[in-house]
Amino acid sequence: MNARSVSEKADYLSRRRARMLPFLAIIFLSQQATFFSTVNSPAPHSAYAVKISAWLVLSIVLLAALSTKGFWLQPREVRDLIDDENTRANRNEAMRWGFQFSMAAAVAVYASTFFDEALSARDAVHIVMTVGLAVALIRWGVLEKRAHRDA
Amino acid sequence: MPDRLSNRLKERRAELGLTQAELAERVGVTRKTVNTVENGIFTPSTILALKLAESLGLSVEQLFWIEE
Repeated sequence: MNARSVSEKADYLSRRRARMLPFLAIIFLSQQATFFSTVNSPAPHSAYAVKISAWLVLSIVLLAALSTKGFWLQPREVRDLIDDENTRANRNEAMRWGFQFSMAAAVAVYASTFFDEALSARDAVHIVMTVGLAVALIRWGVLEKRAHRDA
Repeated sequence: MPDRLSNRLKERRAELGLTQAELAERVGVTRKTVNTVENGIFTPSTILALKLAESLGLSVEQLFWIEE
């Protein structure tokens, strides 16, 4: 692959990622809405286990996409170029936002136990992780879209 | 108020007849990074600033300065 096609491909993939990140966050959040709307319903144990597993797998994939260069099936030179200085800076800021919102969610969950029935540890972790991941995805998408926009 | 880094990247690039993509290729980053540096959205590292200056045939001080 020549230098031109590597940079063109990196640019194309980078734009596609910027468009996809907010959609991924929406898909992820809508999956949580479904989970929490049925968590207390008398669903069969196996259905609950499938939902939990699906959430866990999606969370791990999204976390890996946030923490690594992503695009695991692309050639190394394309992956290295996509993860250039500006992308790393945007990702770091997105991760910072994700961490701060996770902590805020943790405080809110903790405080809620003073007023209401305590959440299970699993539900509390679910909420904290969901907030952190969704915020990081949205923030990264916003920063990447802004970076692609011409002045 | 934080210092703001200004640059004459766009002007110099135009003088040399380079596109953002061509300059990005020379310094080994994506067009997006060149775009954000040009627009003042992103402050480049010292390494990238040196690479950009070298590619455009200027010193770093000629290419970048702190806004008064």
